[in-house]
Amino acid sequence: MVAAPDSLVWELVKNNNSFMRKKNGRSSRSGSIRFSVERGNLTSRSTYKYSGLANSKTIDVTATDDNRATLTLKTKKAGTSGKKGMTGIALNKDFRRTEKTIKSQATDNYYRPDLKNAALAKYTAVYKSNRVAKGVKKVAPVKKGRN
Amino acid sequence: MAARPLVTVFSLSGEKSGETTLPAVMTAPMRPDIVQFVHTNMSKNNRQAYSVSPWAGKQVSASSWGTGRAVARIPRVGGGGTSRSGQGAFGNMCRGGRMFAPTKTWRKWHRKINSTQKRYAVASALAASAVPALVMARGHKVDDVPEIPLVMDTSIESAKKTSAAKDILASVGALADVDRASDSKKIRAGKGKARNRRYVLRRGPLIVYKSNDGVEQAFRNLPGVELCCVDRLNLLQLAPGGHMGRFCVWSQAALDALNDIYGKDGKNVPEDLMANADLARIINSDEIQSVLNPAKRANKKYLRKKNPLTSLKALAKLDPYAAAARESEQRAEAARQGNKAATLAKKRGVAKAKKQYKQAGKDFFEKISKQGDVCADGFNIGL
Repeated sequence: MVAAPDSLVWELVKNNNSFMRKKNGRSSRSGSIRFSVERGNLTSRSTYKYSGLANSKTIDVTATDDNRATLTLKTKKAGTSGKKGMTGIALNKDFRRTEKTIKSQATDNYYRPDLKNAALAKYTAVYKSNRVAKGVKKVAPVKKGRN
Repeated sequence: MAARPLVTVFSLSGEKSGETTLPAVMTAPMRPDIVQFVHTNMSKNNRQAYSVSPWAGKQVSASSWGTGRAVARIPRVGGGGTSRSGQGAFGNMCRGGRMFAPTKTWRKWHRKINSTQKRYAVASALAASAVPALVMARGHKVDDVPEIPLVMDTSIESAKKTSAAKDILASVGALADVDRASDSKKIRAGKGKARNRRYVLRRGPLIVYKSNDGVEQAFRNLPGVELCCVDRLNLLQLAPGGHMGRFCVWSQAALDALNDIYGKDGKNVPEDLMANADLARIINSDEIQSVLNPAKRANKKYLRKKNPLTSLKALAKLDPYAAAARESEQRAEAARQGNKAATLAKKRGVAKAKKQYKQAGKDFFEKISKQGDVCADGFNIGL
């Protein structure tokens, strides 16, 4: 609880943790891709930068059950508490407004400016999926023969 | 580790009821390698011996027929009147023979581990149990737990009923982990299911107490829950599978006892190799930044190549005068265009004059080449 430092936690956790998913990679370079599905991981990638376990400050944008989006940030108490470790901000406004919220949350006080672009990108994806789920947006059907 | 942080103590109904200081063990270095080593060796210590029967395959009086009988030379069972006679015996390759290297009971089943290593491992595991990230990484569901390490009032030790125990855990958010364990109960894959190890389930919270006033019996029937007395902390429970970070629920008496067990009079708390392991802070500290060279400029970006013959901007990069030259050329061209009519006319005039001149010459030639009498007009070439 001396709040284990980020780099140390990453070293302990990078090779085995319960959130790691290894999938077959389909590129010429990789035989398997490592994903990490913990809360707080923005891109689900298993790297130090995006890890929701190792970092004391994380940003995540997720969709909730009722097709809305939430922005979760790690609080200062994440080093001691499970419950108080994360705060959620509901993103219910229109796209431009939430974009501003995400940008400000990421960059104010130098919270996690390196995640700003990834957070915005994820919000776009979440927003689109929410609209599809609500039926507002139709997904273009994939033409036959193209995969 | 000057002033150690305070840990909240929760009452049995889940509200904050006090505070204690974090024991020194929880700041011990976390060494997964030592924990793994000690765990693999420790888990060998409750094995039971197995072996094949010492006389298996040897209770035959067989002897080789030797050479010259058109059969392989292994010992063969003597006698007659039964299909067994003449069959090979004794070899590991023979049917009914003894196996290769028959397993013996005096195999080394248990392992000695140095006490210091064992204590180090336990200290590491305790330290890891105090880091929420590591507990989550091990797989425990602690998203609703208000604080880790989770310390409950000492009255938990006198819990008597399992239903009460369940409520205690629920009030503190620990029931999620118990549910995880109970949902995971499955029949074991493999022969173990027929060998009295039928079910497997995940490990839930580990309740650590100082004195048993009923805790054991209250909590032991909850799936996944294990109990442990502080005096007898077991690495196999603190780091199941060799992985640090078990979710532990402490009673206040137990947590405070840790200060005595691991302290000046008790066991030694191992020292950190790095006093400050926070690399980011070290790198960004004044002491280091003030001595570093200035940051190098990032490599030049290589944009797509543009052909100077077709792109004016690319040409301008190579030949700065090209733009000016082009401009003056254009101006001259425009001027030329303007004067085009005049110059054309001039040219035409010149051409016309030339023509006329030529025509005049021709006329003259024609005139003078007319046939006639030169002296008709008195030698005057009248023109």
